[in-house]
Amino acid sequence: MLDYVGLEADLDAEEQLIRDTAREFVEEEVRPDIGDHWIEGTFPTELIEEMGDLGFYAPNLDGYGLPDVSETAYGLLMQELEACDSGLRSMASVQGALVMYPIHAYGSEAQKDRLLEDMGRGETIGCFGLTEPSHGSNPSAMETHAEADDDGYVLNGTKTWITNSPLADVALVWARDRSDPDEPVRGFLVETDRDGVETPKLEEKLSLRASVTGQIELSDVHVPEENVLPGVEGMKGPLSCLTQARFGIAWGAVGAARDCFETAREYATDRDQFGKPIASYQLQQEKLAEMATQITTAQLLVYRLTELKERGDLRPEQVSMAKRNNVRTARDQSRIAREMLGGNGITADYSPMRHMANMETVYTYEGTHDIHSLIIGHDLTGIPAFE
Amino acid sequence: MSTKILVTVKEVAEVDDEFEISGLDIDDRYLEYDLNEWDDYAVEEAVQLSEAGDDVEVVTVTLGPERSEETIRMALAKGADRAVRVWDDALADAGLLDATTKADLLAAVVESEEPDLVLTGVQAADDSFGATGVALAERVGFEWAAVVNDLDYDADANVSSVRRELEGGVEELTDVEGPAVLTIQTGINEPRYASLRGIRQAQRKPLDVHALDDLGLDESVVDSPVDLTSMYEPESEGDAVVWEGSPDETADELATFLREQGVVEG
Ligand SMILES: Cc1cc2nc3c(=O)[nH]c(=O)nc-3n(C[C@H](O)[C@H](O)[C@H](O)COP(=O)(O)OP(=O)(O)OC[C@H]3O[C@@H](n4cnc5c(N)ncnc54)[C@H](O)[C@@H]3O)c2cc1C
Repeated sequence: MLDYVGLEADLDAEEQLIRDTAREFVEEEVRPDIGDHWIEGTFPTELIEEMGDLGFYAPNLDGYGLPDVSETAYGLLMQELEACDSGLRSMASVQGALVMYPIHAYGSEAQKDRLLEDMGRGETIGCFGLTEPSHGSNPSAMETHAEADDDGYVLNGTKTWITNSPLADVALVWARDRSDPDEPVRGFLVETDRDGVETPKLEEKLSLRASVTGQIELSDVHVPEENVLPGVEGMKGPLSCLTQARFGIAWGAVGAARDCFETAREYATDRDQFGKPIASYQLQQEKLAEMATQITTAQLLVYRLTELKERGDLRPEQVSMAKRNNVRTARDQSRIAREMLGGNGITADYSPMRHMANMETVYTYEGTHDIHSLIIGHDLTGIPAFE
Repeated sequence: MSTKILVTVKEVAEVDDEFEISGLDIDDRYLEYDLNEWDDYAVEEAVQLSEAGDDVEVVTVTLGPERSEETIRMALAKGADRAVRVWDDALADAGLLDATTKADLLAAVVESEEPDLVLTGVQAADDSFGATGVALAERVGFEWAAVVNDLDYDADANVSSVRRELEGGVEELTDVEGPAVLTIQTGINEPRYASLRGIRQAQRKPLDVHALDDLGLDESVVDSPVDLTSMYEPESEGDAVVWEGSPDETADELATFLREQGVVEG
């Protein structure tokens, strides 16, 4: 895999082993069938517990049987998973960064004991419900709400575009608590087998097809008080989870782009036209040179980001910059790789067009590219453009 | 009663598709190092025995330079309890270590560890001597069974009931009394992936390094009647051309080729 400025040579032994193990697992267990899953619109569900056994969910958290690896090792894992398919990385991101992280950070001891080990093993599947049909980029306008009753809350509302909701055992639903005059956003752990919960699947996506997406419909769903995350109120709750997940996405995008690059480089050196390999023509070499440069730049950004995260100095706006840049890189460069493969490039036999289609989702979820421009713009000028 | 299983673990060189030979070896630029495939199965077999039994210790032994510690950590990450690595300037300078030398070195480790059972791979993927395990058994006076593809181990009696793969698809069932050396064939089990937790724990497991002195050996151990005299790539006698695709797509290409080669006219 492309590592033009030798960043991986400086990884420690543990990080190298984690990268190699993730790469081997993906190559042997997932890659052979991922094209078929993508075409069929299915996730390889038999891998969910296997990935749990390997410790792929929230490995950077401690306690509860979690491996507590370095942020670099966590990033490398996301990179290797997304080199295979964004759907695979999304599974790990949602389970680890969007559901286990907030339980770990804001949950009660009882919630942690009840959920973290089982989720780490992949025996309990979680999903994260923030987006609604009428509120995507501006989730703070959410309509889903909770009213207090005798021993807990009654929830109503609809969440949409929810990764894994049809597979999930528990949904972390963000809703406004109307029994408080300030109507703060709070996190509710909603078991999907509760009365009044439906999780229909969204069909016929043209992107992230090897990942199951659905809705969460809540009609008068009762949850006990102990299902509320006690440690956080307001938009900080969901937004802090998104910062964790976006960090993983910034790494993952490098993986997808590298896979496109390696596929294109190999194809271009093997494929002869006009009596010699297409890689021998200047036009194709320029494409490879640009691709390699963009990927290397994206890689440098995540390595620096990781240093900042490791020492506790990382700001969410910096994560926005990396998510925005690296996903754009993967989106643009996957198209170049696709074009270098000619007609073969439009099939699922090769990865670039699958990555290219996936990147439309990755460009949109976890804050669209535009929204990250506004976050960085706000940070640079002090003027919020979206309020 | 406790059981100790010693597993030999080799770091083997894997050669890139394109490579160059420099002197008596393949140029280092074209080599990548990995855990020997057969040893991966031997480690898995030992770890499964330790998970099934109580008080089973799995110790790995490796002859190799510091670089091989990455491979050793992989075996520890998969569940071995501790590791022994043997290396010495005299071994580095010797170049080729033949099966007798390796057996002598491993025998010294067997004598100090006193295992109940030794598992080795059938062969190493790089130098393919395929003799080290059996030579070791002979050297330490253990019973042995080669090319084992099924193992049922009775720890109390220290007896291994093994199935061995013979030529021509014939298989043999044998009971081997311990202490014994078994050379393990691929396919005996399904080696696991190291988990992230295992990889973390592996960094903290003991890995002891011994030089020749520590094992009571001296430089004469590398003396060998076997000399590596030359390394070359055999001249290929012909190239195979493979066309991918359905017969409809490839028939034309084959016809053109046969015409160009003068096999058919027209
Ligand atoms: C496959 C998939 C999986 C997903 N998984 C999840 C999940 O697990 N959980 C979850 O909660 N959500 C999930 N999402 C939802 C995702 O986060 C939203 O789609 C995203 O936030 C955008 O919201 P929207 O689709 O409503 O678009 P909109 O917010 O309506 O945006 C439409 C367009 O307008 C632009 N725009 C919006 N506001 C502004 C502005 N102020 N200035 C300039 N331009 C603006 C946007 O950039 C975009 O181009 C997923 C989405 C997809 C596609």
